[in-house]
Amino acid sequence: MPSAIEVHGLSKHFGSVQAVNDLSFEVEQGRITGFLGPNGSGKTTTLRMLLGLVSISSGTATFGGRRYVELDHPVHHVGAVLEATSFHPTRRAEDHLKSVAIGAGIPLTRVDETLDLVGLTDVARRRVGKFSLGMRQRLQLATALLGEPEILILDEPSNGLDPQGIQWLRTFIRHQASLGHAVLVSSHLLSEMEETVDDVVIVSHGKLVLQTTLAELATKAGTTTGMRIRSPELGRLTALLQAIPVAYRQTAPDTLVIDGATPEWFGPFAAQNQIVLYELANERGSLEDVFLSLTHGFDAAVPSGPSTGEIGEFGAGPAAPGAPS
Amino acid sequence: MIAGIRSEWLKIRTTAVPWVLTGIALVIDGLLILVYFVSHDGNGGGGNGGGNGSFGGLDYPHTAQQLRNLLGAGFEGYLFALLLGVLIITIEFRHKTVTTSFLVLPRRPLFVGAKLITAAILGAVLAIIMLVVTLIGGGITLSADGGSFSALVHQIPAVAPGMILVFALFAILGVGIGSVLTNQVAAIIVSLGWFIILEGILVSLVHGAARWVPTGAATAASNLTRGRGADFGLFNWWQGTLLMLAYGLVFAALGSAILTRRDIT
Repeated sequence: MPSAIEVHGLSKHFGSVQAVNDLSFEVEQGRITGFLGPNGSGKTTTLRMLLGLVSISSGTATFGGRRYVELDHPVHHVGAVLEATSFHPTRRAEDHLKSVAIGAGIPLTRVDETLDLVGLTDVARRRVGKFSLGMRQRLQLATALLGEPEILILDEPSNGLDPQGIQWLRTFIRHQASLGHAVLVSSHLLSEMEETVDDVVIVSHGKLVLQTTLAELATKAGTTTGMRIRSPELGRLTALLQAIPVAYRQTAPDTLVIDGATPEWFGPFAAQNQIVLYELANERGSLEDVFLSLTHGFDAAVPSGPSTGEIGEFGAGPAAPGAPS
Repeated sequence: MIAGIRSEWLKIRTTAVPWVLTGIALVIDGLLILVYFVSHDGNGGGGNGGGNGSFGGLDYPHTAQQLRNLLGAGFEGYLFALLLGVLIITIEFRHKTVTTSFLVLPRRPLFVGAKLITAAILGAVLAIIMLVVTLIGGGITLSADGGSFSALVHQIPAVAPGMILVFALFAILGVGIGSVLTNQVAAIIVSLGWFIILEGILVSLVHGAARWVPTGAATAASNLTRGRGADFGLFNWWQGTLLMLAYGLVFAALGSAILTRRDIT
C-alpha cells in the first residue's frame, strides 16, 4: 500500500531562485508528520506543489500514487489549510462553505457539521470580513474538513490562534490521526509541534535535512545530556579536563558544560581536585536545540550562531572568546 | 459542470457585483426611456433624433421600428454584461479566493469553463431584467402618452432574442478577457477602454473594420437590423454570433493556458 503522501525528488525554481531542491519524504496514514524548517525554507512551496497550486519543476508529489489534479474529487481525499488564502469579505461564513460543498458535491448538511466542529456555529451568518484572524483560521479548517478527507495538509495552522486555540488545534489534530487520517502540518517552531507530531520532516534551504520519528529525534537530543558547572576556577578545571577524554564547552566566563557527565562522576572529581563550585546542574539538550542545530548547521554558508546551538561541534578547549584560560 | 455552475452562482451572488451592476444598468435604462420620450418627435427612430419633446397627440412612438427602439433601450447595458464577465473571474484573484476554488476544481480550464457558462446565463438574465423593466417603464409611459401597450408587447419577439444573445456573448467575452488579465483594475480599464474609445477609432480609421470588431459582430448578432446588416457593412446574425463567440472563447482558451501554468502562491 502506497504512503498517504509521497514526495520524490521534488524541485522548484522561481527564475534563478531554487525554492525546493530534490526533496523526498513520505507521510504515513494514521500518523502526524511535522514539516519543519525555518521561514523561507520551502515548506509552503512544497505544500502548494503537492496541492497542484504551484507547478513542479521536477520530481513528483502524489497522494496514494496520484497527483492532486488526478484525484476524482480531491476535496474528498485531501483537506488543506494554507496561508495567504482568503475569503470574500462580504460573503457569510456558511455561504463560503456552501460554495465549496456545492462545487465538490458534498451534502449541505456537512456545512453545519463542520461549523459546529470548529466552533463557528454562532457566527455562521456573519460576513467573513468581520472575522478575526483566529476565526478565519477556524473557517479554513472547516473548509478543509467539508469532504471528510483522509489526508490533511496544514500550513502553519497555529498562526493567529491564541493559546487556547493552539491547544484546541492540538487536540483536533490528534483526533484526526486517531481516526486513521494522515496529517502533514508545517511549522517553523518544533516546540509548538513536539507534543503533537509522531514523525518529523526537517527542511532547510529547500533541502531535506532529516526525516525521522519524534522518538528518535528525542533520543538524539537525549545524547547531548551533560552537566552545567559554574565555578570561579574554570582555568584549573579545564586544565584537568584536558587530561581525560571528555568533551566540554564554555558557555559563559564562569560556566562550563561537560558532555555526557553525571553528578555521580563529577561531584567526587571536583572534590578530589578541590575545585570550588557555585552551581552544578543537569543539562539536557532540548528538541529545539537539535532542530536549530540541524536547520542551522546544515548550510555551511550561514555563519554559525551562539555556541548553545552547536551540538556535536564542541570539544577541546574553551569555546567562548575572551574566556579566562 | 452543473455543480461548478451552481457554486459559481452562489459565489457571485454573495458579492456586491451582480447587484451593483444590475442597479446601475437599470438606472441608465430608466434614463434612456425618459430621454426617448422627451426627445421623440414622432417622425423616426428614438434616441437623440428629434428634440421637440412633444408629448401626447399622435406623436407617441407607434411604428414597429420606433417601438423596437423603445424596447431596446436597455441595450446599452451590454457593457454591464461585459463587466459582469470580467468581474466574475477577476474578483477571485483580487480577494485571493482563487486558492480555494482551485483546490475544489484543480483543472483550471474547467474553472474557466464554469465561469463562462455562469456568466453567459447571468448575462442573459440581465438582458431579461432590462427587457422586463423597459417593458413596464416604457409601457406605462407609452400608455400615458396615448400609445398602445400591446403594440409594444408585440415587438418583444423582434427584440428579446437578439438582446439576450448579445448580453450572453458579451459576458462570455468578459470572462475571456478576465482570464487573460486577472488583475481586476487592468481588466476593467482595458475592456472599457476598448469599447468606449479604441474600437470607435479603429472603425473610423480602417475601412471595413466595422464588421470584424466585437461591437460590429454583436450588432449583427442582435439582428435588430432585420437582415439588413449587410447594408451597414455587417455580417448576418449567425456569422456575427459565431465571430463574437470566437472572440470570447479564444481569449478564454488563452486564459486557461496561462492559468494552467500560473503558480498560485
